[in-house]
Parts: sequence; C-alpha cells; structure tokens
Amino acid sequence: MNPVPAIRFVLRSALQNVTRNFGISLASLLTVTLTLLGAGAAVVVVHALDNVLHSEESQASVLKVFLADHVSLQSIMQLESSLAAQHQVVSVQFENKDAAARQGCRQLGLCSALNTLRSTGGGNPLPASLNLKLRSIGAVTTINDEVRTSPLIFQGAHPTDYNPDVIPRLERYILIAQIAGGILVAVIGAVALVIITISIRTAAYVRRREIEIMKLVGASEWFIRWPFIFEGMMVGLASAVVAAAILLGVEYVFGAGHALFLGIGVRFALTVIAGLLVAGAFLGAFGSMVGIRRSLAA
Amino acid sequence: MFRSHHAQPPELPAVRTAPTRPLIVFERVFKTYGNGNPALEDVSFQVRPKDFVFVVGASGAGKSTMVRLLIREEVASRGHVLVDGQDLRRLRRRQLPRLRRKMGIVFQDYKLLPTLTVEQNVAFAIQVTNPGRRHLKEKVAEALYIVGLEDKLLSQPGQLSGGEQQRVAIARALVHRPRIFLADEPTGNLDPDTSWGIVQLLLQINHRGTTVVVATHNREIVDLCRQRVIAMEQGRIVRDEVEGQYMDGAAQAL
Ligand SMILES: Nc1ncnc2c1ncn2[C@@H]1O[C@H](COP(=O)(O)OP(=O)(O)OP(=O)(O)O)[C@@H](O)[C@H]1O
Ligand SMILES: [Mg+2]
Repeated sequence: MNPVPAIRFVLRSALQNVTRNFGISLASLLTVTLTLLGAGAAVVVVHALDNVLHSEESQASVLKVFLADHVSLQSIMQLESSLAAQHQVVSVQFENKDAAARQGCRQLGLCSALNTLRSTGGGNPLPASLNLKLRSIGAVTTINDEVRTSPLIFQGAHPTDYNPDVIPRLERYILIAQIAGGILVAVIGAVALVIITISIRTAAYVRRREIEIMKLVGASEWFIRWPFIFEGMMVGLASAVVAAAILLGVEYVFGAGHALFLGIGVRFALTVIAGLLVAGAFLGAFGSMVGIRRSLAA
Repeated sequence: MFRSHHAQPPELPAVRTAPTRPLIVFERVFKTYGNGNPALEDVSFQVRPKDFVFVVGASGAGKSTMVRLLIREEVASRGHVLVDGQDLRRLRRRQLPRLRRKMGIVFQDYKLLPTLTVEQNVAFAIQVTNPGRRHLKEKVAEALYIVGLEDKLLSQPGQLSGGEQQRVAIARALVHRPRIFLADEPTGNLDPDTSWGIVQLLLQINHRGTTVVVATHNREIVDLCRQRVIAMEQGRIVRDEVEGQYMDGAAQAL
C-alpha cells in the first residue's frame, strides 16, 4: 500500500467528518478541553504546592528573627552572640535591610512595590533580621518563645517567621488538590469520552454507506478506522492546544510573582503542554476506537 | 445430487491438463438466524470456475442468505462454505478483505455514493483498497467501457437511469478483476428491457472468464438465458439443472 495517497485519503475524510458534523465536533472539542484544563490545572496546582512544601520543609529548622529598625549594631551583635552560644543553634547570620529588600524582590516578587516605595520616599519597609539555623524542628519553638521577649526585635504581628502548622496545612492542601483534581478529571474525562464516542458514531453514521461499500470492496479494517481515529485525535489535539493556551494565559496574567507559581519554570510548562497534547490525542483516539467499533462489526 | 468437494468431475482424458477445482462449494450448509428462523437447510452445490448460475426462488427462499454466506457477512450455522478452496468458517477477520477483493458484488439498490461522480464511484473501490495504485484512471475507464458508460464519467448517480446506475455498480465490482461476480436481485428495480441489458452484460462478463452467480426472481430472463438454475424453496435446493427454467418444467429433478 502506497502511504502517500492513503494518508491523503485519511486526512481528507477526517476533515470532511469535522466539517460535516461541526456541531458535535465542537461539543467534543469543548468537553475534551474542559477535561484537559481540569487535569492541567490540578497538575499545576499540586506541583506548585509541592514546591512550596519543599521549600518550607527545607526551611523548617530555620528561624528568621526580624529586628526593629534603629537598634544599635552593638546590641544586635550581643543578641547574635548570645544566640550563637546556645546548644541548639547551629549558626546565626545577620541580614541587613538592603539584603532583605533584595530577597523580597527576588523571592517574593515585590520589586516593583519596593521601588515605588523608595522613589516616593517611603524608604525600605523590610526589617533586618537574624537568620538562625537550628539543630531540629523542635528547637524552633523554644528559641522562638525565648527570642520574642527581647526588646530588640520587630514589634509587629510577626516578630519572627515562625509558623508552626504551615507544613501539615500544606500537605493537607496538596492532598485535597490531588483528590479533587482526580475526581474532577475522572468525571469530566468520562463525559468527554462519551461525547467523543457519540461524535465519532455520528460521523460513522453519516458515512455508513461509504463504510458499507468499503467493507464490500475489501478495504482493510484499519483503513476504514483511520479517518475516524484521526478525526478524534485532531479534536483531542486541538483541545489540548486550547487548554494549554488557557492555562498559560491564566498563569501569565494572574500568576506572575504569585507564590503558587514560583516553582513553575519553562521546563515544567513544556512538560505540562506535552502531557496535555498526549492526553488529548489519547482521549480522541480511544473515544474514536470505541465509537467506530459498532460500524466495523460483521 | 450431493457431491463431496473431494470427488472430481469425470475427466475428459486427452484435452484437459488439470482438473478444475470448484471455485464455490456449499457442503450441507444450514443457516439459522438469531430469531430461530431456518433460512438455509442442508444446502449443497458446487460452482466451477467460469460457470454461470442463476439462484431462483420465491421471496424468503434463502437466496440472499446464500450470498451473505459467500461474502462472509454471515457464517453458516452448520456445514461448510468454501471459496477457492478456503473454508470461510476458518477465515480470520483480517483475511476478510482479501476474500472480498476476489469478488465483485452488486445489489438491487446499487449502493453508489451520491456525491461522487461515476468515475469517482468506480475509483473508490481501488482508492480504499490499494491507494496509490498506478494507472487508476485507465483501470476505471476500462471498467466503465465494459459496462458501456465511458461517456458518463462526470455524471453523478442522481443524473443516471436505474439501469445506468446498476452499470456503474457493476463497473465498480469489476475494477478489481474479480474471479467471482455475485449479483443479488440485480434487476429488481429495473424494467424488463433494462433488465435484459444488465443480464446481457453479466453474460458478457462471464464470457470473459469470470464466474457469475445471480440471485433473482426474474422469470423471463432466467427462461431466456438457458443457463444453470439452482431453485430454492424454503431454504432447500429443490432443483439444480444445467440448462434450467425458472419453474419446474420437464426437468431433471434431484
Ligand atoms: N437478518 C436476518 N435475521 C433474521 N431472519 C432473517 C434475516 N435475513 C433473512 N432472514 C430470514 O431468512 C429467510 C431467508 O431470507 P433471504 O433474505 O435469504 O430470502 P431471499 O430468498 O433473498 O428473499 P427475497 O427474494 O425476498 O430477497 C427468510 O425467512 C427471512 O425472514
Ligand atoms: Mg433477497
């Protein structure tokens, strides 16, 4: 069998199917897009939460003690050495206000806010800090309680970055996101599969004469099947493109600088896009196989 | 006149070089559809290469069932159907296209694609089985020439008479150069003159060396042609005559 005209036949038939049954093709495109969007969003959110969790965990035995402005360098050094003398403290590092601003700019995406403040004479609102590295997570609580009584430290809502339940909470969020995402994807995915199947069945019904003749003159089953599978894959791939565009668009517009999206790099985005394309093609092909089966029987 | 397909026909010693193996064999075939209706009961016959056979009988006698078994649209409930030595019961699903390409098949309702031209309808049979085959246009033109429609290449089926549409269907069935040509009521929708033209065409195809089996209840034509007739009644063969008539005449009954 010569592949070129065969491929041309498959492409032409598949395109005809899409244009002849535009309404139902559009319906399957939308449901597959929804499925992929749900799956993609779940993956992205879980991945982002995971990233936050990891960075929190690595910082779990780190305690940042914010210092009040205008305290003398000498008293700071006294506090520093008294802390360093403690058994549970591995190291103490002083971070001045400029370094804090650089950190805030880089890690929290606060650059523009900080710049605005500085240019309008607002100065740098971020406090200097002593960054303690502790031997254990358990030590964080005791040191935190102790250091809070010092007159040197920042008198605000958060004198340290101590947050005892952030990790269990994150873990719970990740679990919820995984379960909810899984259920959502399974439900919409089932609906999408059914609609693809109906759509292909409709296309096969519209072409029943043609299929009958193809069988009669001895076309192979795969030759009969391919246009429909290709149609399904085209719908699936188009849905993947739409879903990827929406996901990336949302991230671009709302996600820039947001903590949830900090961990999403180009590589992860490309992986997600590739995954969406594969999933879309697979959904389309599988739905088509199911949809065309009845027409091929006997 | 049941004859096992192992038994050879009596040989003429001198001229014939090889015994002709029957092309179609029905061996004690029973067919019962899902609803329990027996459509064929104990049907046995053979068709040799280049034979021309009418299968006749009243409505419901089992003619179409016979055709469906031959193209393996249905499988015999009991017994064996052999085509070119191959037992269709043992034919695997993916071998079916090969069987179908050995056969040209036409029906009462032509089964043409209304949006395609005459030429495209005939070419379709090649495009979906052997895309990219060379000399496609020539092969299509040749088939259309045989059926006498070489000047209607660009017409659409809707612009043709019933007889012409059946000729297009015949051309499409011929384009693979089939060994066996099956026609189920090919003249069922045609007036007598047009029917006669179609049957002439089938005889001509037979003269070119193709085995032809025609299921019909067109009495005039069967009586005029003086070809082999297999007569069916309620799923059984009641007559099988070399130069038969539609009705039981002074026949060599079974
Ligand atoms: N798909 C089917 N399911 C159930 N019964 C069937 C089916 N096809 C045919 N039959 C039955 O089998 C018997 C033979 O039918 P068949 O179509 O072979 O007859 P026929 O000789 O071709 O008749 P006609 O001249 O009307 O075309 C009939 O009793 C018919 O009702
Ligand atoms: Mg019939």
